[in-house]
Amino acid sequence: MGTILKTGLGLWMSLVLVGAFCYAPTAVGLRELSRIIYFHVPAAWVAVLAYGVAMVEGVYYLRRRDLRFDAKSSAAVELGTLFALLATITGALFARETWGVYWNWDPRQTTIVALFFIYLAYFSLRGTLADAHRRARLSAVYVVFAFSVVPFLVFILPRAYVTLHPSPLLNTGGRVDMNPQMLLVFLAALAGFTGIFAWMHNLRWRAEVLLGGDGDGD
Amino acid sequence: MGTNTVLTVSLLTWFGLFAYLWHIDRKLKGPKGQ
Repeated sequence: MGTILKTGLGLWMSLVLVGAFCYAPTAVGLRELSRIIYFHVPAAWVAVLAYGVAMVEGVYYLRRRDLRFDAKSSAAVELGTLFALLATITGALFARETWGVYWNWDPRQTTIVALFFIYLAYFSLRGTLADAHRRARLSAVYVVFAFSVVPFLVFILPRAYVTLHPSPLLNTGGRVDMNPQMLLVFLAALAGFTGIFAWMHNLRWRAEVLLGGDGDGD
Repeated sequence: MGTNTVLTVSLLTWFGLFAYLWHIDRKLKGPKGQ
């Protein structure tokens, strides 16, 4: 990423934070707790995005057999797991304040944890394989299959069962039910988190290639 | 904890992460740049 982009991201996220706490109003009933939407939802979004990127890079590896794609794929899974963990923790904090308990096996809580463990197994798989190309090939196949369950776990199952979780931004009626100021900060937070992911992913796979764990190492 | 305190902590955390990422980026580019 260029210096201008990085500086822009720094300013952008600073404005998002100021907007989240000083500009956006609070939601009726939730009060200050509603501000968690600017962190919890973007974290969950980035987790799904990262797993999608991992799948695409996995497919690229299978087509081209270039270990750089494996480095990009594994870096995306690492970040996806990190952001899935952040989404789970922030969700549990929200649950404690609104439902009274950190964990109650709500469909959304359960499916994000299921997703987290599916991708956690990816690291066990990689750890058992010494040969770089064999590891890359099996890892790529794993992420392609793993991503096939993402639509069910993230979009279908939570909607198929009764849940305490607040309605998604885009509800089943296809409408966006959110205060315009909140929506502005929310969309800005989504863009900012996506930018942070792009930067972190770029750094992680480059470091992986330099360290010689993946890539050509030259 | 007041809103201003939370905002200050959030901004400081973001600046810390930003500085760390910037530092790693410079290290990865090496002395001559990439």
